[in-house]
Amino acid sequence: MPSEYGFYGTLLEINLTEGKINQKKLTPDLIENYLGGRGLATRILYENIDPSCDPLGEHNVLVIATSPLLKTKAPTACRGHMVFKSPLTGMLGSSNCGGTWASRLKSTGYDALMIKGKASQPVQVDIQREKTEIRPAAEVWGKDVHQTTDILSSQKNSSPSPGILTIGPAGENLCLYSAVMNDKNRAYGRSGPGAVFGSKNLKAITVTGKMSPPLKDKERFQSGLDQALYMMKAAPITKRLLRELGTSGLLKLIHLMDMLPHQNFQDNLHNMKELDKISGETLRESILERVGACYGCPVACQTHTRVGEKKGEGPEYETLVMIGPNCGIYNLKAVALANYRCNELGLDTISLGGTLACAMELYEKGILDKKTTGGIPLNFGNESLLPRLVDLIAYRKAFGEKLAEGSFRLASDFHHPELSMTIKKMEIPAYDPRSSFTQALGYMTSPTGACHLRGGYAVSLAFFGGTKEIPRFSIQQSPLAIRNMQNLGIIQDSLGICRFTGFAFSTEPWARMMSGATGMDFSTSQLQKISHRIASMERAFNLQAGLKEEDDCLPDRFSHESIGVEGKDKLISPELIQRMRRDYYQSRGWSPKGKLSTLIRADLQLNKRYT
Amino acid sequence: MNERKWRIPSQIIRLFQAVGRASLLYDIQDSHSGNMALKHRDKKGREQLIITASGSQKGDLEPQHLCALSPNKTDFGYYKASSETDIHSRILNLKGINASLHAHTKDLVIATLDPERKPNHPAPFIPADPLGYQALGIIPVDWFRVPSGSPEMIQKIPQRLKDHSATVIQGHGVMTRARTLQEAFFLACVANNSGYIFRLLEKHGVEIEPLRKKIVSDSYSCFSFPAPYTLQDDHSCDFSHEEELVKEFQKTGARIFESRLSPFHTGSFSLRGVKTMFYAPKASMPRELGGPLLEKSLEKKNSDGYEEKIHKEIYSQSNFQTAMHCYIPEAEVLTHISPPGTNSPPDRLVPVDAEGSFFYLVIPILSSPPEMDSFLQLLHDYKVVIVRGGGVWAVGEQSLSEVLHHPSSVREICLYRLGARERGLDLGKMEPAKAKKW
Ligand code: SF4
Repeated sequence: MPSEYGFYGTLLEINLTEGKINQKKLTPDLIENYLGGRGLATRILYENIDPSCDPLGEHNVLVIATSPLLKTKAPTACRGHMVFKSPLTGMLGSSNCGGTWASRLKSTGYDALMIKGKASQPVQVDIQREKTEIRPAAEVWGKDVHQTTDILSSQKNSSPSPGILTIGPAGENLCLYSAVMNDKNRAYGRSGPGAVFGSKNLKAITVTGKMSPPLKDKERFQSGLDQALYMMKAAPITKRLLRELGTSGLLKLIHLMDMLPHQNFQDNLHNMKELDKISGETLRESILERVGACYGCPVACQTHTRVGEKKGEGPEYETLVMIGPNCGIYNLKAVALANYRCNELGLDTISLGGTLACAMELYEKGILDKKTTGGIPLNFGNESLLPRLVDLIAYRKAFGEKLAEGSFRLASDFHHPELSMTIKKMEIPAYDPRSSFTQALGYMTSPTGACHLRGGYAVSLAFFGGTKEIPRFSIQQSPLAIRNMQNLGIIQDSLGICRFTGFAFSTEPWARMMSGATGMDFSTSQLQKISHRIASMERAFNLQAGLKEEDDCLPDRFSHESIGVEGKDKLISPELIQRMRRDYYQSRGWSPKGKLSTLIRADLQLNKRYT
Repeated sequence: MNERKWRIPSQIIRLFQAVGRASLLYDIQDSHSGNMALKHRDKKGREQLIITASGSQKGDLEPQHLCALSPNKTDFGYYKASSETDIHSRILNLKGINASLHAHTKDLVIATLDPERKPNHPAPFIPADPLGYQALGIIPVDWFRVPSGSPEMIQKIPQRLKDHSATVIQGHGVMTRARTLQEAFFLACVANNSGYIFRLLEKHGVEIEPLRKKIVSDSYSCFSFPAPYTLQDDHSCDFSHEEELVKEFQKTGARIFESRLSPFHTGSFSLRGVKTMFYAPKASMPRELGGPLLEKSLEKKNSDGYEEKIHKEIYSQSNFQTAMHCYIPEAEVLTHISPPGTNSPPDRLVPVDAEGSFFYLVIPILSSPPEMDSFLQLLHDYKVVIVRGGGVWAVGEQSLSEVLHHPSSVREICLYRLGARERGLDLGKMEPAKAKKW
């Protein structure tokens, strides 16, 4: 086996159609040019897929990659990145997850994993250094995420214990926004990877191993590590806030910034007393049992909660708002229980909340009625419906069949696509784009559809960016600000580290840790260049998948229905959308229509095969 | 006495008030010291000399503290006007001169004191910094038996100011003359800044005379000169539609001035857009005085000034969104102080304070004029670079606030390092070992 510093140089390829397992060499220049995680996975995907393929067909490919920082002491370096063609958007699917699974994958001696083809029967894959097997999964098929995890763990009974990545019934039933879960409650949530697993008859992947590649320059690594830890201890958000309040602690702040969506983004008006019922502070006082952390994370933002006899994780901010106020619901326990059930069934809570909110608006506007919903009164605020709806969706039963397709297809089927708050058919997360031009542009230009993580988390720049705080309504600053924020996200996803470290520091300590780990020279400017390259790589995929300029757009609502922000009416006109989009393309070096220039294509070496 | 009675337009009153307040903030006046004068034509086209009243407090000028006089004949206004009015009036008669300012520039006064028996001919003052040397050149220093409004001063000072933009009245202060009152204030600030730098160099044992000789014989090898002072409209703004940005620019400019990161109207900062950059060519801008806020194409042009060129160069070769250039006097001084145990000028500034050394293990120092590639590379790697004879440059990934933080920290780091030296602490021991080989 080729052995490099910080990584092994090995990709494990599994072809489910043929039942074949191969090891492929990953050359160091791939790490030099794409780092790991998101960059590495996207490059491998691009070389092994026809982007115009049917996302639920046999030819879709799924790649999960780790980074040279995993299995080191780099704080939060535990994250894996999964890419595939998304069944929800028809574009690049790209999802990132913490927990422990990705670190355990790296312990098996592989840097990345590629799944091709489709098994004829439900299967699970068991990866160990010595032997990888594709096994029947009849015993766990149909089981939920928690049950599957328990069964597979008890079967393995190994030391160290196995990492288990699995889908639930939502993935098996090809719900377009189904998730892939690890550690029971940690989700590769967005873009519908669960359905891709399901379409391949792949139920789970277990990983067991003890390996970790050596570091090249321990002193250099340590200097970056020291600085990173110091900054994380110094910054209140990473030191204390996330641990004490979880991400749900953002709720009131985002409301004070007039950015908290209400009833399918119809407005941003909430009653503070109602918000108090679901705030992070209330969560801490009422349902929090303990905090938890992903592998190697000193921040520990996980909230382990209990409602009655039921235990689970969350809700996180996005879940809280999308299933809560965005559906007119202000009941913490109801949202938490729905969240638990989503985790068990393997559903992305953001898209679920967005889809329900859309259905509720369709219902309240009389476009849907009880006849079409199978007797369900889909009114905003009807929290008692949540448990039933989540199950109907995951099992695609009754009206759940329609809801499992996501809000865009739902609203289009009923001739009102304008009521779907989606971009590239993916539901917009819990920040109203009218409250920040930068965030709006981030959603528009995210390679995966409306995603605050892949699109750039501009909210932090606007409200708690410290010295990096920027104006939120600057037309001319927004394109570059969001591009830089997206680049930072690309670097973080590619290094396998958590977004939340960005509240404490930027890329400099990572450059040092990465250089120390691999022995390659990574400067911050190089990381920037690499992030640009990865953004263009993702664009190349999407263009081949059929992306058009006009897909980088906001739903009409945000151009025609204003909300009040700091006492002023705000919306984002079509002209402004066009201008910011054009400027953004230019900032990336793309053509005014968003196409890649010859220069960029040359840099990407699209014909080159690394794998 | 109200404004109307003195017939002084309100914008001129506001200008005097703003310069007065800024001069107090910059500590080049005491409560009642100094005076300033401006040539003005009234509505009927008559020339007027507008000057501060005798004994007025420059930090709190009311309309009645300004006198509008006939420039060439005595009128009632002279009862109230500054005792140095005659000097000002003669200065304002010099060709192309519209404003003059006298300030108690304490650092410059101290730097130009001498122990000689009086009367004598004091040596002129040679600034050892790029701002001072460029804007003021060699500054004459004169001793006067009666150093306030005396006939000798009335005769000598305007004569000095024929060839020099500033002159020092030994033991008293500086007199500057300029095209505008803002420019006269700029000259006074820069002059005092040069005095401050001289004092610190002297205090820290830097051999000043060889340095000065080198400056006089080949100033271009010592300094990266900034663009000369320009007379753009200080309230002009090319991007007033970007309300939030304008506010950010004003806030940043005020902070640079008030925190003494660069003397009045010196330095520059910018925020990059996609095709253009928003550019403040006079970075140090007190709120009420402002400075031009320009929108400039990012395309490089032959006509670009030195300063503008560097901003564009930074943006063309990086993803940074903000850039800033300040003339921090303490940083300039430290570029001349050899590191412990050596004789050569330093190539890095090593913070010895806890926060400074954590954020910046070292801050690189380059000589003037810096080689562009290594300058940009260092900016990439360190975010902030000090140029000996060329100020402090910094970059930020997102915001003006972020880029401002660098010069602000640098000044603090310099103050701690200088302070530790003054206390005789062993800096070699205080510097982190890692910083030496970084
Ligand atoms: S900050 Fe939270 S999400 Fe991020 S790695 Fe740590 S525990 Fe996981």
